[in-house]
Amino acid sequence: MSTEQAIDTFVQETGGWIASQLEACTRCGMCAEACHFFQATGNPEYAPVWKMELLRRAYEQRFTLIGRFRTAVGLEKRIDDDDLLHWSSIVYHACTVCNRCALVCPMGIQIGDLIHDVRSGLAEAGVVPADLEKAVQMQIDEGSPLGVTDEVFEDRLDWVMDDWDIDIPIDVEGADTLVVFSSIEIMKFPANLAAIAKIMEAAGENWTVSTQAREIVNFGYYEGSEEHTKLFLKRVLDGAKALGVKRIVVTECGHAYAALRWTAANLMDVPQDLEIDHITGLLGEYVENGRIHIRPGAFDQNGTVTFHDACKIQRLGGHIAEPRQILKILAPNNFKELTPNSEQAICCGGGGGVIAIKDADDLRFAAFGLKVKQINDIGADTVAMSCSNCRLQFLDGKEHYNQDWNVLGLAQMVADAMEEE
Amino acid sequence: MTSFQLTPVEKGIMRCRHIGPFTSEDVRTLADFFYDYNGRLLIDLSGTTGEECSKYMARFRPMMPTAAIFGAKIDPAILDISDSYYTRDVRYFDSEEEALDWLRNQ
Repeated sequence: MSTEQAIDTFVQETGGWIASQLEACTRCGMCAEACHFFQATGNPEYAPVWKMELLRRAYEQRFTLIGRFRTAVGLEKRIDDDDLLHWSSIVYHACTVCNRCALVCPMGIQIGDLIHDVRSGLAEAGVVPADLEKAVQMQIDEGSPLGVTDEVFEDRLDWVMDDWDIDIPIDVEGADTLVVFSSIEIMKFPANLAAIAKIMEAAGENWTVSTQAREIVNFGYYEGSEEHTKLFLKRVLDGAKALGVKRIVVTECGHAYAALRWTAANLMDVPQDLEIDHITGLLGEYVENGRIHIRPGAFDQNGTVTFHDACKIQRLGGHIAEPRQILKILAPNNFKELTPNSEQAICCGGGGGVIAIKDADDLRFAAFGLKVKQINDIGADTVAMSCSNCRLQFLDGKEHYNQDWNVLGLAQMVADAMEEE
Repeated sequence: MTSFQLTPVEKGIMRCRHIGPFTSEDVRTLADFFYDYNGRLLIDLSGTTGEECSKYMARFRPMMPTAAIFGAKIDPAILDISDSYYTRDVRYFDSEEEALDWLRNQ
């Protein structure tokens, strides 16, 4: 562990923008009320303002007169190894970087970004939780944090094509659209691969998957390491470049979408004419333009249907209208909103890498308790979503809380309801 | 007739008895079952051969709930998988009794 490296990273990150963000904080505490981990546990250390405390201390101790004075006379403690270990358990275990806190901040502070910077410093210092670090290492060594090696990818595509009776175009040069799945879909939800293939085919899309850019998940982004984030993004962008596609469609993964759609452009060269979309937007577009037809009322027999908004796809990505437009066709009489929803939705508790950290299980289930209450308050029987990481958290969470709702992916619902032309 | 039968063993444990070659429809049905099922699974291969089920066992492995397998000789290597947060423990046993004992303690 290197405390100095962490501080240096904090300091390097602390340009005028971060300084202005830190100076703007009035310690009003509204962010605490917005945080699902704080709400679920009442632990003041989980208040978002406290999660960025290391960054504030590094900034004040290095850049402000009062901070230097207080440190020099011993009124404020210098950041040490114990601090790094302590904050590691806070910012990786009890934060999904969902950024709901930023939405309520009256000063408009981008708290999620600042917490990501804290993670960056901790990653530089080598204080990343072991489970997360192991997944990052697997992604470096094998190309996948979940074991999707070349052979596994090929075998799972073969399986889906054989038993779901669907064609998946592989490495088609000159295709318009490159579809990149998340590793969790490839390993755990193969029916989702089949569903998306069915939709692309029905829409008449000129599409392909890539063996080089075979999965989209980015554990470097979870970890906060710029170097690893770039490495994993590069694999996807290189795959897209090799095939000469015009756009990349990210399937049901939220953080990977954020990393590719927004972070990539700030870290590396992304071809300006390369479009990056999320499958949720594409589904909305296909339905609206009549490229696919879904059966009205196809899910009206499933009891009350609701939608869980994912932090990076709906709140950040803005794909709020499309799933509702689709669900109001699929369940016109039974679609009901959770409260709160859309931009204000509460995170599932498993994002940001939290689901991968065994020691954080109690916390992620505590946070999911808020979701259980929301769902049961409206008597929902089916919860739809467009993020596979959320879906895994929902499946684990419904088992943990002994609930019996159906947990469904939006693309699978669309594929199941598609009318044959 | 499907290639597998699902029957309850006791609270929280289901038996999945594999009895013949998989059709594509069976594969999709079993995938749906693994997706939805919250409990533990006793996988009984006594109605089939190890060769018959090995390929599918390996493919289903990442989706399986906590499971104990017995009843036909399989290469335990097909159950090997990179340990990860989304995987559950799946083990092979020589007898139903051992399998059930282990499963009850999970």
